[in-house]
Amino acid sequence: MMLHTLHCRRFRGLADTTFTPGPGVNIIYGANAQGKTSVLEAILYAATTRSHRTTTDAELARHEGHEFHIVANATRGNSPVTIEAHWWKGAKRFKVNSATQARLSDILGQLCVVFFAPEDITLVKGAASGRRLFLDMELSQLYPVYLRALQQYRHALRQRNELLRQHRDDTEMLAVWEAQLSEHGGVLMRMRAETITELSEIAADLYGRLVADEPLALTYQPDVGAPDAIAETLARARTTDLNRGNTGRGPHRDEMDIRIGDKSARAYGSQGQQKSVALVLKLAEVMLMQRHIGEYPVVLLDEAPAELDSNRAQRLFTVIPDAAQAIITTAQPIELLPLSRENATLFQIEGGCLEPGTH
Amino acid sequence: MFIQSPIVERLIESFRRLPGVGRKSAERYALHLLSMPPEQAFDFSAAMREAREGITWCPVCRNLTDTTPCVVCADDRRDQSLICVVEQPTGAMAIEKGGAYRGVYHVLHGVLNPLEGIGPDELQLELLFNRVKGGNISEVIVATNTTAEGEATALYLARRMGALGVQVSRIAHGVPMGGGVEYADAMTLAHALEGRSRI
Repeated sequence: MMLHTLHCRRFRGLADTTFTPGPGVNIIYGANAQGKTSVLEAILYAATTRSHRTTTDAELARHEGHEFHIVANATRGNSPVTIEAHWWKGAKRFKVNSATQARLSDILGQLCVVFFAPEDITLVKGAASGRRLFLDMELSQLYPVYLRALQQYRHALRQRNELLRQHRDDTEMLAVWEAQLSEHGGVLMRMRAETITELSEIAADLYGRLVADEPLALTYQPDVGAPDAIAETLARARTTDLNRGNTGRGPHRDEMDIRIGDKSARAYGSQGQQKSVALVLKLAEVMLMQRHIGEYPVVLLDEAPAELDSNRAQRLFTVIPDAAQAIITTAQPIELLPLSRENATLFQIEGGCLEPGTH
Repeated sequence: MFIQSPIVERLIESFRRLPGVGRKSAERYALHLLSMPPEQAFDFSAAMREAREGITWCPVCRNLTDTTPCVVCADDRRDQSLICVVEQPTGAMAIEKGGAYRGVYHVLHGVLNPLEGIGPDELQLELLFNRVKGGNISEVIVATNTTAEGEATALYLARRMGALGVQVSRIAHGVPMGGGVEYADAMTLAHALEGRSRI
C-alpha cells in the first residue's frame, strides 16, 4: 500500500496543495498549530470516511466554509486506486476510481491505514471498551465474517435487552435471542482469541526492540469461559439481567489484558510505559495486517517521536519495516530528531503550506 | 397553486405511505394521476378499492386470497401435510414462482422483533400451531429471512413445534443457481461452504 499524492482543497487550515510523500519514512515537521495533524487527518478521512478528531464533517471545512475536497492517489497491490472525498453543503460523496460509492464497506480497505495519535494512550489506560473497539475494528477490516458476526451479535443483544427492559420474563423468547448471541458470540470469541495470541507475539517482539527488555503480553480475558458456555451463562443470568434491565454477561464484556512483566499496564504502568505500549499496539496492527493482506498499510503516526524519549524515538525508525510507507509528524526541531534513516523524506509545514524540508 | 390544495396534499400523503416512495416521487405520482384522462384515474381508484375489498387473508394459511380458502389450500393435488412458513405473502409468491414446491404455506405476517414490539402474539402463530396439532402434518419448512429476527423466529418455531412432535427444517442458504462463485459475497460463500453437501 503506498500513497503517491494527496490533494486537499479547502480542508482545515491546509493550503490548497498537493502532498507527494516518498516511499519509506516521511517526516512532516513544524511548530504547533501549523497543520501537521490535518495532513494525516485528510489521509485518514479518505481511507475511512471519518476523522479521529471530530464526528462533525462541517468542522473539517476551512473557515467554516461549505465544502472541502480530498483526492488520494495510491497503489494497492499492483493496481492504482484513486479515492475522492467530496463534502459539499453537508453531503459527502466518495468515489473510488471515479465511480461513486455509497457503501462504507466498498470504501474501507481501498486504502488501508493504521493511525496513531497521542490520544491513543486511552487504549492502554482507559476502559475495556476502548480495547474491544480496537480489536473489533482490526478484525472487521481483516475478516468480513467477523464484521457480520459482530453486527448480528449487537443486533441480537439489542433485541434481548429490549425484552429485559420490558421486564418480559418469557424464557422462550429470551432463549431464541440467547441462541443467536451464542452463535455469533462464539465466532467473536474464537477469532478474538486467535488474533490476540498473534498480536501478543508481534507486540512482545516490538516492545523488546523499541522500548525495553521487559516482557509485554496481551491476553484474552473473555467474560464467558468458552464459546460453548455462552448460551448456558446467559440462561443462568436471566433473573439478574431482568433486574438490571440489560445483558450483563457475554463477549460484549470481554477484556484484553495488557501486562508488562507481571503487572497490569493499565493499573500500574507509568505514563511513559502506557504511551509506548499504545504505540506498540498500533505498530503490531501494522504487522498483523501485512501478514493477512500481504502488504503493509500506510502508517500514520501523529507526534509519535514526542511520545518516546530520544533513544526510543531513534529505534522507532528502525522498527518501521523498510517496505512500509510511514508518515510521521513532529513538533521537534528537525535537527534534534535522531534520524538514522537517510532515506527519509522531509517536509516542513508552516501556516498550512507544505514545503520540501532539508536534512 | 394547485399543489397547496388540501385535496392534492391528501393524495400526495397517500402515495407517501407506499414503500420506497418519498415526497418527490409522491408529488410526481399525484401530478401524473391528475394529468391522466379522468376515466383512467377512476379506473385506478376502482382497481385499488376492488382489490382491497376482494382480497382477504386465507382462514387456513393467512396468505392473501380472493377465494376461501385460498387456491393452494384448496388444491388436493398439493401435499397438504407439508407446510412452508414464510414472513410475508411475497415470500410465498417467490417460492410459487419457482414452481418446484408442492406443499402448502403459512404466512406469519411478520417476525419476532422486540425492538418493534412484535412478540409471538402479534404473529399468525396460534393458527399454525393448531394446524400442526390437528395432525396430518409431516414436516414444517421454515423459510423466514436470514436476518437476526428471521433466524430467531425460525428457532422459536422449531422449539415450539418440536414439542408438538413434528419435523421442522430450515431452508438452505448458499450460492445462487447459475451464479458464479466469484459474484457471491463473502458471507454467503462462508455459509455455503459450511452447508456443503457430498456429491
